[in-house]
Amino acid sequence: MRNFNFLKAGLGFYTALFITFLYAPFVVMGILSFQAGPEGGPQFPIIEWSTYWYQHVLGIAPPSRVAPLPIAEALTRSLTLAFATMVVSTVLGTLTAQAFRRHFKGSGFVFYLVVLGMMVPGVLLGLGMALVADQVGIARTWWGTAFVLHVVYTYPFAFLVMLAIFNRFDSSVEEAAWALGVPPGRTFRKITFPLIFPGVLSAMLFAFTLSYDEFPRTLFTGGSEVTMPIAIYGTFAVEIHPNLFAFGVLTTVFSFALLSVYGLLMAASVRRAKTKGIGVQEDIE
Amino acid sequence: MSAVEPADSAGHAADRSGFMQKYGHFLLLAPGVIWMILFLVVPLLMMLYVSFWTQSTFSISPDLTVKSWVTFFSSETYFGALLRTLRIWLTVLVLTFVIGYPAALFIGQHVRNKTVQTILLVACVIPFWTSFLIRVLAWRPMLGKEGAINIVLQKFGLISQPIEVLLFTELSVIIGMVQIYVVFMVGPIAFMLARIDDSLIEAARDLGASSWRIFRKVIFPLSLPGVVVGAIFVSVMVLGEFATASALSGRKVNLLGNIIVTQVGSLKWAFAAVIGVVLTFVMAVVIIGLLRVVNLRREL
Amino acid sequence: MMEVRALAKAFSGVKAIDEFSLQVHADEYLTLLGPSGSGKSTLLRLLAGLEKPDSGSIWLNGVDITTQPTHMRNLGFVQQKYALFPHLNVIDNVAFGLRHRELDPVTDPARVEKRVADILELVGLTDLGGRMVGQLSGGQKQRVSLARTLVTEPKVCLLDEPLGALDANLRERMTVELQKIRRALGVTFMHVTGNEAEAIAMGDRMIVLDRGRLLQVDPPDTIFTVPATIDVARYINAYNILSGTLSDGRFTSSNGAFPVVGDVPELGYYAVRYDAAHVLAPGEMVPDGSASMSARFIASEFMGSQIIYIFRRIDGGTFEVVRHLSREDPASYERDQQCTICWHAADALLFDVKGRLVMDNSMRGAA
Repeated sequence: MRNFNFLKAGLGFYTALFITFLYAPFVVMGILSFQAGPEGGPQFPIIEWSTYWYQHVLGIAPPSRVAPLPIAEALTRSLTLAFATMVVSTVLGTLTAQAFRRHFKGSGFVFYLVVLGMMVPGVLLGLGMALVADQVGIARTWWGTAFVLHVVYTYPFAFLVMLAIFNRFDSSVEEAAWALGVPPGRTFRKITFPLIFPGVLSAMLFAFTLSYDEFPRTLFTGGSEVTMPIAIYGTFAVEIHPNLFAFGVLTTVFSFALLSVYGLLMAASVRRAKTKGIGVQEDIE
Repeated sequence: MSAVEPADSAGHAADRSGFMQKYGHFLLLAPGVIWMILFLVVPLLMMLYVSFWTQSTFSISPDLTVKSWVTFFSSETYFGALLRTLRIWLTVLVLTFVIGYPAALFIGQHVRNKTVQTILLVACVIPFWTSFLIRVLAWRPMLGKEGAINIVLQKFGLISQPIEVLLFTELSVIIGMVQIYVVFMVGPIAFMLARIDDSLIEAARDLGASSWRIFRKVIFPLSLPGVVVGAIFVSVMVLGEFATASALSGRKVNLLGNIIVTQVGSLKWAFAAVIGVVLTFVMAVVIIGLLRVVNLRREL
Repeated sequence: MMEVRALAKAFSGVKAIDEFSLQVHADEYLTLLGPSGSGKSTLLRLLAGLEKPDSGSIWLNGVDITTQPTHMRNLGFVQQKYALFPHLNVIDNVAFGLRHRELDPVTDPARVEKRVADILELVGLTDLGGRMVGQLSGGQKQRVSLARTLVTEPKVCLLDEPLGALDANLRERMTVELQKIRRALGVTFMHVTGNEAEAIAMGDRMIVLDRGRLLQVDPPDTIFTVPATIDVARYINAYNILSGTLSDGRFTSSNGAFPVVGDVPELGYYAVRYDAAHVLAPGEMVPDGSASMSARFIASEFMGSQIIYIFRRIDGGTFEVVRHLSREDPASYERDQQCTICWHAADALLFDVKGRLVMDNSMRGAA
């Protein structure tokens, strides 16, 4: 038993180290985002602590030789793209997962066709799509060719999340609704959907995050109007500045806020399910 | 007369619902399947097709030839990139497993409080909320000659001279990739471990099995599907990588992904397509191999 | 009213329902008894339209509803585990069908409210309308499930083991209440159960199902006194069943030979109702016209108004004797004591080798 506890403590310590390893670059990024500007570079030592690069990101710093990040356009594009991708892939994922609740011929083919979307590396798909667009003669745009690829990428995730949700879903409540004379479509809206909503929310979150951060697919198919990740990728070629780090910190804080909202929504839905759904089984009378 | 009316309308509605029952399933599947065929299968086939096109300096023409293929396999640079890609992929795969498994074991098996478990998993996921590219770039001030690691090591007197091989080498690429992708290994494994019934391990312990034996005979086999799913995730991402390599190697380490990007940049479409097909082939072999170990559909 | 014609359904080649035909009358309580795996749940799902039959048809008031989807059938279906809508409260659960059904929805909120209130009163849940269904006990959930179905005024209400998940106390109370509610509404109930006591106590008519085949449809007392086949006799759990053959005009088995009353060409089985037999007191002679066998006493079970004595037969099977205590005091026996059990030979039911009933008291009277 003591041996076992020793092992557990060891693993716990290891896990702490592991999490430190995950966070180290993040911490370094946070520190360097407070580097003096505009002359300070993205490396140690810190010349002087300042919030210059934050002002630079927000566009309130005095003009300098460092070009500002194209936040207004690129970030708007990225958020719009992520939102559209989220909606379309969640709808597609839910429809397909709904179809998978019944066994049908060719289900294996459809399953792997959909899952292939997340397995093919972005650079390959981007290349393929660019070739197709080139041959068909359609312009490559972030809202066209890039958007369809974003859905190809995130739809499998939404599908798998919904599949897992439906696997745990007790379909007898749907049968009960049908037997009450309620047609399947209305049953889905009034019974199934409210019950699977937490799952739909996770699928949406997944799709949004993946699309927002996507760049290999967008790189070849996004055209000249860049999204945020492409704008950042563009700085690889030239010199990088701590404004990227400041931007990273800002988006992380923003994501945190978003995650907290999601967490609160989930907690509320779990609490509601607790008082509503599970309840006590013994006789209260 | 009035008795006929409702029966008739009921019959009519039944026909409509009969149609829905017959084709409803098809309607549910059609949007997704059509989307994937148009925007996934067609581009991949197009890539295969274009790989046989004729490449001139700045354009391609649809005259079929195997010239690009011959160039690929006869060029040391390109074939070397294939080997390098495979080497880095295997190294990263093994490292993510070795580094990730103990952490997953702790989170999934030793933490029995669901809330703490969730908090730990979320803690692993939070770094993902920073843009992937910025996370990659953040390794530069970590690994550089005057980077955080060298500063810390020198401060503790562990080294007198800064280690220079840390940045802009294959090592830095591997470190960066492991840190970025290890979570994709930890997540599925921790998930499978958390699903193991406690009583199973209790039973094994009651039978006098040692901790190591329990791990080898019970815990590890049950976590294997998680390992495979994690391996699929890591493989897919590492094999298609180019950003980490170009950010952390100073363009010295070229993976197949990097070559595709460069070739597309110089409008060598046919050649990029050849590399794409090779990469797809490698990917397919790896994934099919891994799927033989575990049935992905059953594990959901 | 409802007619089922030669319904058949197989799952991957195994017949779940085999050429099942039945006439269901208006305003009757029909119970369906079958061991688990007899296809009784499948039958209900076929009737409700949740499964498609391979062949056969279902008619409701002269209309063929075989291919109609569930929501067009106007058949109530009360599931075994209630299947309440967990995100709605009791009132919304009950009102759901009225509000959202395809045919003839009730759009006037006042009318919905009135009908929901009426039905909740009928099932005795008036005070719980605002509760979430998760806060209800098993018995209450059962009632909500019933009210939810009955409020839509189905032509036939199918109940899949409605009492199966309740404890014994509640089960007994619900038995009475189900009958009361059904009578108040005049709707036909088709109640599936695996419990023979439930089937006998509740049904106006009772169906016995085995391996997807209908064995017998009759009022419960008929099934109880005149089971059509040896399997029915077995499922209603009221008969000692011996197998053997007819030889020299006697039923001969490894437990002995018993006189046969009536003219039969051949025999396969011989059944003695638990309460038709009695144990001879020491020294008591076997009365004339009686059959007897010897058996070893194993145990007795006191059931309030009656006592069950369980014996081990010579061939190893058990033999049960039920005595009603209003007629006599309980006797006590030593374990492994050899006793003689006897019964009127004319009380025994005789079955041929295929298990069909060939001789009972009414036939004897007619002969």
